[in-house]
Order: sequence, then structure tokens, then C-alpha cells
Amino acid sequence: MTRLLVVDDEPEICEFLKTFFEDRDFQVETAGSGEAALKSAETFCPQVILLDIKMGDVDGLEVLKKVKQANPKVKVIMVTALETTDKIEAAMRLGADNYITKPLSLEYLENDVREKISSLAAKP
Amino acid sequence: MKVIPRRNRFGRKAQPVDYHEALREIAKSMVRLKRPERLLKMITRFITRELGLTHAAILVLEPEKSRYTIFDSKGVKKLPRSLIRLDLDHPIIRWFRMTDKETEADRAYISKNRIQALLRNPQIYKNRPEVHESLVRLQRAMGDYRVDIAIPGHFKEALVGILLLGEKLSRRLFTQTEISFFQTLVHDAAIAVKTSEYHERLIERNLELEERLKEIERLRKKEQETYYEIMKSLAQEVHAKDPYTFGHIHQVERLGVMTAEEMGLDLSGRKKAVLSAGLLLHDVGKIGIPDNILKKPSALDTEEWKVMRTHVEKGVKILEPLTDFKEVTEIVRCHHECYDGSGYPRGLRGDQIPIEARIVSVVDAFHAIVSTRCYREGRSIETALQELQRNAGTQFDPQVVGAFLRAFKKNGRSRKAA
Repeated sequence: MTRLLVVDDEPEICEFLKTFFEDRDFQVETAGSGEAALKSAETFCPQVILLDIKMGDVDGLEVLKKVKQANPKVKVIMVTALETTDKIEAAMRLGADNYITKPLSLEYLENDVREKISSLAAKP
Repeated sequence: MKVIPRRNRFGRKAQPVDYHEALREIAKSMVRLKRPERLLKMITRFITRELGLTHAAILVLEPEKSRYTIFDSKGVKKLPRSLIRLDLDHPIIRWFRMTDKETEADRAYISKNRIQALLRNPQIYKNRPEVHESLVRLQRAMGDYRVDIAIPGHFKEALVGILLLGEKLSRRLFTQTEISFFQTLVHDAAIAVKTSEYHERLIERNLELEERLKEIERLRKKEQETYYEIMKSLAQEVHAKDPYTFGHIHQVERLGVMTAEEMGLDLSGRKKAVLSAGLLLHDVGKIGIPDNILKKPSALDTEEWKVMRTHVEKGVKILEPLTDFKEVTEIVRCHHECYDGSGYPRGLRGDQIPIEARIVSVVDAFHAIVSTRCYREGRSIETALQELQRNAGTQFDPQVVGAFLRAFKKNGRSRKAA
């Protein structure tokens, strides 16, 4: 089962995406802060992380840097609102695997997550 | 067994909803609301609260982007508003944009139960795998959004938005009355949204248009003003060129306006300006008359008179490009008409001749008479006045002559000093 970590400071978004991916047989954990995200990244060992670029306490970019340092193989998809698109370039430099802007199409998101997983399988 | 009354999530005892009353209330608000945003929020709040639903959400088409976003969502299981968008190929959107005949009736609204029923009936999608696939995808999408029933809002052919409703907390099914109520709401909301959209765009476009029209009008005015200035200097030129000229052309204008005032004519608005322009410009066509005729010191022969008379149509031609000067042009055209119909170019009589032209005619004649006898100024004015009186009723409008004489006696003496 694929482990997916959803990081967003809006609980509704976490809850919604958790249900969405659990319905598709993912194992999902959620984190509402940068700190929780780093902790979960360590203990839960997700294969894919959906990471909100802008959160209250920690910059999503900080989280990205740390999780990639700890585990370069983890796939990180940045989720950004329109007003934070200027951070996308920085995120890609820091090793983000893709980005997706809100409001997003769930179908597109699902396809992207699955694509990341198959790329993981292809490169052991 | 004790019967426990059902309670909604606010702990209130669930009262049966009076839908007619609710519709009336909402309809009233709709009229009041200029912005449909508040109306949409009212709808989600009302439905979630009064019917005790897990959630209610409204999807609205973003006109320029060809996608639907969640405008508002309320309830314990509300959808994250900023997260999701539904593109045109999304199963829910596609369902309501489909034109499949067999499932046409299900385009009015679709429920989870109905999808199940349709999927159980192979007749529906027999030989049409695309319909089956749509239904399967629709079922899945409805699950993702925790939707029990979806009601589309159309405006004409366009799918403006969709009302998505979660299930009742009581897990009861929606009644037909409730569904009709939702449909009415969504229908009216779609109109409100579309109307306000049109309205906003209309206002925007109107403003743009108004600005442009103003600019065009400004340029046109400017152009005409310039033209008018040129006209005036031309008229002055003509006047100065005429050897019989006496005094300044503005005296002609002053006498004419005085006469009109004496007659009690309505000179409000632009009427006074029209009269003035007529008085100033009536002979502008003389610019096209050869000097040997215009400046001839002796009497003109028949041929020369023919040419001289063309100054009227020449003046009309010069003034025609000025769209604001229609009345002025008419004055110029008529200033050689006579009260008894013996004038030119058209032989008009009496009231057929614009009153301003009748005034110009009198003032112009007076001016011509005094001018030709400028070496005998004192007598010539008396002669001119007598001449006017003598021709009142034939060449001139007697009322105008009368007014001119009175005005002249009151004010005209100052002319001597000029």
C-alpha cells in the first residue's frame, strides 16, 4: 500500500484529501504544521508527500529541504495557491518533484501521485 | 417505547420546513440583493441548517476559465473551498452537459440512488459503453464529494452552476417536494448569477463606451468649434470686403438679438446661439462671389444678380458639414426669402420662413441701406427705418419690423457712436 503524507494547515483540506486517497487504497497521514510534517516524514515514511507551500509556522520550502535531505527518494508535490507561485522556482531548485496550483483538479492530482509512485518503482 | 424526537445538528427539534414560505422569503431577498454572492451563501446556509444535511455546496462556472469552483460550502462535512476545481471533463460537469437522449430525464438532477438504479439497468447503456463509463465515473465523483444529490442550474443553454448536497444527518431520503424546492432555488440563483454577471459586464462596457463617446463628442465639438471660428473669420472677411460695409458685423448680431428679445422670442438653451450664428454667418457664401461683382460700385445687371444670389446656396454648402448647425444652415438658406413669398431661393412665405431668418432679413436690409449711404449717416438711418416700414408685410414680417423699430429706438441710438 502506498503511503501518502498530506501537509496543509487547513484541517478541511487534510481531511478531504485523506478520505479521497484512502478511498483509492492509499495509506494516508496528515500534518497541519511543518513540525508535524517533519515528524511524520520520519515515523510514517511516506513515499509521496503533498506539501502546501505556505503554512502558518514553517515555510513549506523549509519542510521540503529537510525531508529531501533526510530521504532524497521521497517524492514531494508542492501545492500552491496562485499568490505563491513565485516560490515554485525555489521549490523546484530544492528538489520538489512537481507542483500543482490551487484550485486543483482531483483527477489531475491523483494521476500525478500515481505517476510519482510508478517512477519510484521504476528506479529501485 | 419512548419516541425520541429527531433533532438536527443544532439540537433543535426538526420542524417540517414550509417550502412555499421559504421560497417566498428567498425570492424576496433575491430581488433585494444586487450581488448574488450573498444569495448563494444564504442558500447553502438555509439548506444545511433547515434540512440538517452533512453539507451543501454550490459550484459556479468561472466564466473566463471554463471551470467550476466551489463558491460556498457549509455543514459538518463541508468541502474545502479553495482546494478543488472541476474542469469541463469532470464526471459531474460532463453529466449535466451530456446530450444523451436515454438519460435526458436524469439531467434535471441526479442522485446516488438513481445512479445505482441506472447502473443496474443494462438497457440504459446497452451498446453504449460511453454512457456506462460516465455513470461509473459519476458515481465515483459523487462519492469523492460526499454528494447525495446534484442539481444543475442552467441559464438558457449554459450550465451556470450546480448545487451539491450531502445526505441528511437523519439519513432519510429527500422527498420530491424538497427536490422541487431545490430546483426552484437553483434555477433562480442561476438567473441571479447570470444577470449580475451581465450587469457587471454591461456596466463595464457601458463605462468604456461612454468614455469613448465622450471623447468622440469632445473631438467632434472641438472640430466644429474650430470650423465655426473659421466660419466667423470668413464672415468677417466677407463683411470687410464688401465696400458697402458699415460698422462691425457684431453690430448686425446685436441688432438681431435685440429684435428677438423685443419680440419676446424664446432664446433659452442654444436658441440664442443659433440666432447669433445665423446673424453672423448669413452672408458667408459671399466668399465665393467674384470680387468684380461683390465690389462693383454701380448697379448689378441681371446676370450679375444671378451670380450674387448664389451666395445663399454657397453659404449653405459651407455650413453643411457642421452637424450642430442644422438650424443655422436653415437660417442662411432662408435669409433672402420674403414674407409675401417673392424672395429666393425657394419662394417661401410667412411662417414657412424660420423666424430667425425673418429677423436676419430685416437686420440685413437695414444694414445694407445705411451702409450704401454712409456719407449721409443721420438721414440714412431714418430712411432705412422708413424703408423697413414701407416693406413690412411684403418683403418683411411686419411683427419683426415693429420689434426692430422699438428695439432700435430703445437701444439702437448707441450704434451711432460705434
